[in-house]
Amino acid sequence: MIKITDLEKYYRTEEVETVALNKLSIEVKEGEFVAVMGPSGCGKSTLLNILGLLDDPDAGSFLFNGIEVAKFNERKRADLRKHNIGFVFQSFNLIDELTVFENVELPLIYTGVKAAERKKIVEEVLDKMVIMHRRNHYPQQLSGGQQQRVAVARAVVNNPKLILADEPTGNLDSSNGNEVMQLLTDLNEQGTTIVMVTHSEHDARYSHRIIRMLDGQTVMENIMV
Amino acid sequence: MLFNYLKIGCRNLLKNKGFSAINITGLAIGMASAILIFLWIYDEVTYEQFHEKKDRIYEAWNLASFSGELHAWNTTPKVLAAAIQKDLPEVETTTRAAWPQRIQFAVGEKKINASGQTVDSTFLQVFSFPLLKGDPATALMDPLGVVVTEDLARSLFGSNDVLGKTVRIDNRKEKKITGVAATPPVNSRFQFEYLLPWADLRADGDDDSYWGNNSVRNYVLLKANASPASANAKMKVLKPRYDNEDPNWQMFLYPMSRWRLYSSFESGKETGGIIVYVRIFATIAILILLIACINFMNLSTARSEKRAKEVGIRKVAGALRGHLVGQFLGESVMIAFIAGLLAVLIVVLSLPGFNRLAEKTMRLPFGEPAFWLLLLGIIVLTGVVAGSYPAFYLSSFRPVSVLKGTFRKINALITPRKLLVITQFSIAIMLILSTIVIRKQLQYAQERQTGYDKAGLTYMFMTGDMDKNYLLIRQELLQSGAAASVTKTSSPLTQNWSDTWGIFWDGKSPDDKTDFDRFSADENLAVTAGLTMVMGRDFDLSKYPTDSTAMLLNESALKTMGFKDPLGRIVKDGDMEFHIVGVFKDFILGSPYYPTKPMVVEGAKRWFNVIHVKLNNKNSVAASLKKMEAICKKYNPQFPFEYHFTDEEYDKKFANEQRIATLSAYFAALTIFISCLGLFGLAAYMTATRVKEIGVRKVLGASVSSITGLLTKDFLKLIGISFLIGAPIAWYCMHHWLQSYPYRTAIEWWLFALTGLLTAAIAIATVGYNAIKAALANPVKSLRSE
Repeated sequence: MIKITDLEKYYRTEEVETVALNKLSIEVKEGEFVAVMGPSGCGKSTLLNILGLLDDPDAGSFLFNGIEVAKFNERKRADLRKHNIGFVFQSFNLIDELTVFENVELPLIYTGVKAAERKKIVEEVLDKMVIMHRRNHYPQQLSGGQQQRVAVARAVVNNPKLILADEPTGNLDSSNGNEVMQLLTDLNEQGTTIVMVTHSEHDARYSHRIIRMLDGQTVMENIMV
Repeated sequence: MLFNYLKIGCRNLLKNKGFSAINITGLAIGMASAILIFLWIYDEVTYEQFHEKKDRIYEAWNLASFSGELHAWNTTPKVLAAAIQKDLPEVETTTRAAWPQRIQFAVGEKKINASGQTVDSTFLQVFSFPLLKGDPATALMDPLGVVVTEDLARSLFGSNDVLGKTVRIDNRKEKKITGVAATPPVNSRFQFEYLLPWADLRADGDDDSYWGNNSVRNYVLLKANASPASANAKMKVLKPRYDNEDPNWQMFLYPMSRWRLYSSFESGKETGGIIVYVRIFATIAILILLIACINFMNLSTARSEKRAKEVGIRKVAGALRGHLVGQFLGESVMIAFIAGLLAVLIVVLSLPGFNRLAEKTMRLPFGEPAFWLLLLGIIVLTGVVAGSYPAFYLSSFRPVSVLKGTFRKINALITPRKLLVITQFSIAIMLILSTIVIRKQLQYAQERQTGYDKAGLTYMFMTGDMDKNYLLIRQELLQSGAAASVTKTSSPLTQNWSDTWGIFWDGKSPDDKTDFDRFSADENLAVTAGLTMVMGRDFDLSKYPTDSTAMLLNESALKTMGFKDPLGRIVKDGDMEFHIVGVFKDFILGSPYYPTKPMVVEGAKRWFNVIHVKLNNKNSVAASLKKMEAICKKYNPQFPFEYHFTDEEYDKKFANEQRIATLSAYFAALTIFISCLGLFGLAAYMTATRVKEIGVRKVLGASVSSITGLLTKDFLKLIGISFLIGAPIAWYCMHHWLQSYPYRTAIEWWLFALTGLLTAAIAIATVGYNAIKAALANPVKSLRSE
């Protein structure tokens, strides 16, 4: 599903150039659950942003389902993203002014789904995430775990092929963290490919494979049994 | 999607009540000001637009040179209409209108003074003043007829069904009502309550066929397909064909579409007129609206960090930039819509006051679709202008930066937000400075010595038997102690009714066509008016009966005539000879903004319309007026006692400038208020983003004053730059404006200093509140949150 080859990314200021990704090559197959680990600043979040088409690489190739997307313009990237990729963030990133229902509904609006159908899909997803009873609440009225469940619901509502999770349990206690990891595992078992950045060995154990990074390069891969 | 945008827009509005209040208030005041100004402009540009034949109606104007200067004016000879009709095949018909007059209408015991004009029988065929009763084709043909308006008919008879009824006019003529006209629209130069037929004027012996007597307005209706250029070519050479006074004397036809807005002429050329104020106020309306929009832009972008996360999430969820631009523009249009409704409310509440100020009777045309379209246009335009920059700015955020929290505002030397504040305050400074200059010019002209003493000076127009009983009235006014002095004059001291270039004296050059103001008085003019005699004496008929042909000159006239020893010299006005008995210091008869002209005052042989009375200062004004009333009623019982105070009438000369000064002061105050509203909001946000910095500085020992100074300094720099931009522009505009006044004030350096200090003080007061609040806050709180 994902094949990146010799990917490079630099961050430049007036005085310093920092290498975030240094000729990185990774492949992720459809249906895989991959965890990316490494110390802060090793480039794992940059990798996730590029995989999510939120950032451009400076060099290298990025094939998504066999199509070269590294040089896609903003419109094409947004189009590919909204139909294929869901995001889960450490800090949930829900819109405070929208209710649970409306937050989950958002990606469907941008894909042009009709209102009645949106309602049906959102309710199904909220049901599945066991958050239906909170549908009219605002994010501030929910616990961290509940907020992350809403974020996962929003990530899956478009039925994406790929979910990118950036430290999804980073702001949760262990109990809520485990719940979220179980949700991701369930989604993966239903066929969704997951790439997750994490600092937690515990969370990483839910994945099929761990990619360990240092200084923008892969240093080790562990296959989980 | 639209619903989603509206929903989030509403929630944002409610969540940020302070921000919303500032934005909506600013926009509402801006829009209300713009609507009021557009109403005024609409009223001005629709003058005479109701006439069905407006595109074919013209007014005849003179164009002639005097003393080397070309003059254009629109009083023309009575005889002109017939000549035009004869010589211009392009003309369908002509019509004349004499000067408006106030006359008395009486029905039984009911007496009403009404204003109106004597006009040709074709008047109602040229101009669209519909008759509610009567036939417009014949209503003005009957020499014994009169057309009255519906209002006058109701006042006289209690109904408008008055065709054929009789009224007594000025207690001397019986007239039959031949037509009842609708009251003329307010945006017309013809504001009449009655129309008398020209035949009436002829019967009174007031018609004449002298080409030298420019005394009426001549109007022309061209044929449907006639060429105005061809008609004008004939007008140019028309007068010399009939009158040999000046072979270069031209006339021209001036189109109705330009009467109201453009009819100010200098050296024979159009130089503007009310259109200048239309343009000035349109510019002010746009500037005020722009300032309100800038508030919106500034506050929206200042809050960008709060909206950044939403932008990031929406982009991640698949939103394109276009979606977000649409969303933010939608929000601003929604806010503009709310502000628009509030603006309409403000306009409804303030319109009566604005009408008083502008001396108009404007109304909000709720029933006209054009009004709603215009309102919608203002709302959408305001929303789009105000929302455009925030929409493009906010939608440009990269989701990676905002969602990872690495998004930070730029603190560059020049940022769009700083530019917007500079723009806003440059405009405010321009308006403040302009207002101060307009006020100063007004004050300068008001303080100009009039040359006569206005205190306790009153005048009455001579009506009915006053002329006949003048000597008795004067005698009783003096004997009763009501008056200290009385004189009879041709016009009030505040109005110039007559001028002539036909004054001759020994030694006058044949090429000299100096135009003299012409005034007449019987006796005691100098003592009644408080003129200062510099040579000779006042008129005194009791001592010098020959003073009926005496003449007084002002100093300018003496200078023009060049007499070293003027007393006793003979001066001719047409066929009449006068001998000079005195010279007085110039006094202002016409505009206080213009130099005084040469003036002759002719003795008792001349015509009189006005009695000036200097009230006796030993009595109270009320007591003197009461005595005056009793005396006037005794000798002129058929007419009501009406009087005017000269000082009040003189003040009316400043009405136009006073109105502009007041309006510009209001608009400048509104501009400042809206700007400060924005500055206040901006300062609050800017201060909030520096809370941590303030905390650290306080912990390190910074005082409240140093922190307040730190936070205020940046804004003051912007005000300083605004001053450097706004002040020269204001100087240029005001310098240009003052050129239209020969008697004008100077734009001195202290005006700039005052404007700068005033703006800085207002800005400090606005920003200072937030700065002091931040400086007094406990640093522990802000640092703990880190």
